[in-house]
Amino acid sequence: MKPELDETSGQHTTGHEWNGIKELNTPMPKAFSIWLWLSIAVAVLLWLLYPAWPYVTHYTGGILGYSSRIAVTEQVEAGRAQRAETFAPFETMDVAELAEMPNLRETYEPAISVLFRDNCAACHGRDAVGQINFPNLTDDHWLWSGTPEEIEYTLQVGINSSHDDTRYAEMPAFGLNEMLEQPEIKDVIEYVLQISGQEHDAAKAQAGETVFVDNCESCHNEGGIGELENGAPSLIDGAWIYGGTRESLAETLKYGRAGVMPHWSDRLSASEIRQLTLYLLWAGQDGNGD
Amino acid sequence: MIRQFELVLSLLVTLIVMVLGIAILGFGRGTGYILHGWVIAGFSAWGAMYLVNHLSDPAPVIPLEYKDNVIKWGVLACFVWGVIGFTVGDIIAWQLAVPALNGDMWWSNFGRIRPVHTTAVIFGFGGNALIATSFYVVQRTSRARLASETAPWLVFAGYNLFVFLAVTGYPMGITQSKEYAEPEWYADLILLFTWVTYLWLYMATLARRAEPHIYVANWYYLGFIVVIAMLHVVNNLAVPVSIAYPKSYPLFAGVQDAMTQWWYGHNAVGFLLTAGFLGMMYYFLPKAAGRPIYSYRMSILGFWGITFLYLWAGSHHLHYTALPDWVQYLGMTMSIILLVPSWGSVFNGLLTLNGAWDKVRTDPAIRFMMVAVLFYGVATFEGSFLAIRPVNTLSHYTDWTVGHVHAGALGWVAFITFGAMYKMVPWIWKREGTYSLRLEAWHFWLALSGTLIYVGAMWNSGITQSLMWQTYEPSGAFTYAFIDTVDAMRPYYTARAIGGFLYLLGALIGAYNIYMTVNGPRVEAKDTDARPLAQPAE
Repeated sequence: MKPELDETSGQHTTGHEWNGIKELNTPMPKAFSIWLWLSIAVAVLLWLLYPAWPYVTHYTGGILGYSSRIAVTEQVEAGRAQRAETFAPFETMDVAELAEMPNLRETYEPAISVLFRDNCAACHGRDAVGQINFPNLTDDHWLWSGTPEEIEYTLQVGINSSHDDTRYAEMPAFGLNEMLEQPEIKDVIEYVLQISGQEHDAAKAQAGETVFVDNCESCHNEGGIGELENGAPSLIDGAWIYGGTRESLAETLKYGRAGVMPHWSDRLSASEIRQLTLYLLWAGQDGNGD
Repeated sequence: MIRQFELVLSLLVTLIVMVLGIAILGFGRGTGYILHGWVIAGFSAWGAMYLVNHLSDPAPVIPLEYKDNVIKWGVLACFVWGVIGFTVGDIIAWQLAVPALNGDMWWSNFGRIRPVHTTAVIFGFGGNALIATSFYVVQRTSRARLASETAPWLVFAGYNLFVFLAVTGYPMGITQSKEYAEPEWYADLILLFTWVTYLWLYMATLARRAEPHIYVANWYYLGFIVVIAMLHVVNNLAVPVSIAYPKSYPLFAGVQDAMTQWWYGHNAVGFLLTAGFLGMMYYFLPKAAGRPIYSYRMSILGFWGITFLYLWAGSHHLHYTALPDWVQYLGMTMSIILLVPSWGSVFNGLLTLNGAWDKVRTDPAIRFMMVAVLFYGVATFEGSFLAIRPVNTLSHYTDWTVGHVHAGALGWVAFITFGAMYKMVPWIWKREGTYSLRLEAWHFWLALSGTLIYVGAMWNSGITQSLMWQTYEPSGAFTYAFIDTVDAMRPYYTARAIGGFLYLLGALIGAYNIYMTVNGPRVEAKDTDARPLAQPAE
């Protein structure tokens, strides 16, 4: 077939036809050629300036000597240096001294709250009041003591974590491992309900007291007031981690508990751990103290 | 003789797949994997029985017309997977806005359901659309019937078996965790057989052509088939743990694995979602508009530019990672040049409408195709822009990427498909036209508003989250915690889910329209209908 003139465009066709489809022989618009060569020129320029083409053993390094590894290392270092300066008190002082310092809170709390939300809020909540299975950090009820040093240590080594010096606390699975008979478990649950001031079966609770003294007191202390030395929680303060109802207590006694808090010493700097320690102390000051 | 050889070869392949299925159902552990074994074995056993039964049949008289029946099944599969994929997509969009909507079940969380969406739309909807239209286009533009009576069915069946295995495997945890290449080794093997058959069939049909030249649409379709074959093989080189488990380990590790994956991922976009659909555009747009292609030279620039440059550009998905700088810069520069041939195709498509612009107003199918080309232009500009390293520091890991992908997928891929389908369905079913132009227009406007809402929401959320991530206090501490940036996304995620719903609604109307078209009255065949030229041997 011969090329023919297309009236609309004023161009000739190429003379090919497929199922009624033809093609015009329109030349490449000048703008496109310019743009194409310009793009290639930009690419060549970038090849000269930056690392680009490999050869057998190495690659062209570029005139600028750019390396993203060096660039990122410098930026990380600069950021670290800047924060060391702006968070100077946390670099040099220990947490006990920091806790005594006035005016620290209003300067640093907003920034530290971001650190808390990024690292702690997933379990303890954005406002640090905890949720089921994760303790409230704003009240006065501490598992391992609420002194600045102890909070800092918990942050460093974690609880039941993979750190060599981790704090360790485990409630045994009294039911599953048959350490107690079923009636004993039922009785001790009633006793715990009694000492925590809840509705209970008085007769069973009395029997449960003996079970408690023989099996639970060694960790939870006399009368279930808790023990900061081994992280066993108080059972009478109403601050339940896993729930204080009859059903939750039954589950706790059957399967045991061994909550994990990760250790942060590998992930956060010493200064950041001190900041978070102070943040929790400040959060405790707002609580109603119960 | 050739027919016998072909039947025996098809039987052999079907039997190999059947043995694979039987081995899986026999040795496999785990419910999902064993169920897949039954599906593979049952499906291929049925195919083998069919082939055996027809082995000794006398050679049928092949009519001198195009082989369109397999295309009809392709259209059906395309719409079925499309509706599934769009629905699942909108469900997970709502899950992102309201996380509790995953129902807290092990199989229903975002990570397991999201690949169902991507595989159903890319491979189920897009892949079937490409296979169906490629069979249509190659026959018409070559004036030759498909080179085999059996192979098209093998391609169609094997391909959809692959998509079925993929999509049903993810909720049960069967995945190799490579984005867009999630299916495990046994599904990959089935696709490999299928794809080699497809490649052979396409080339054999081109070889039978009665036209002196190969039309540009076929360059693109063939480019798509060849490159997907290459990508699929290399990125899925893996060693199965044993026949008892779906699990396998990739041949490459670390940064090599990441680079192979994104060489695959980027060129799946480049050759499946771009080249294949450009093939569709190059046939259906000029055909529907009744205008010649604007410029043969632009076709050449577009095709070779895209084919050459795309294969270098995958590394721009790994900017500022452990990937060596030189690979990143090479990918970035090739991406910058890539915009020229991409826009060459855009202008070639749009200017083809010169002299027929009135049809954009009156024919919703042409409007679909015209807007598709515009979105192709937007998405390719955006793609080259985001590939520039400093720009990438803003966009990477944000919703902007999601918006970019959907500008291409919703706006380009699906729009050109809908436009082509509204033309091809009446042609192959011999109908006067589509059932309702009004419904076509409704589909168009719903799809367009859905896409604009979706992409607009993602641009905003992507840039917002990126800026929030990068904002520091004068002290050098972060201004926002990560969770604060998640909070800020909520309105955009809701808007995105609404946009997706509009799009789904449009697609449902489209599917209904296609169904009613097929159900409608048939027009008399005319002597002027296009037919293949008789082959010398026949």
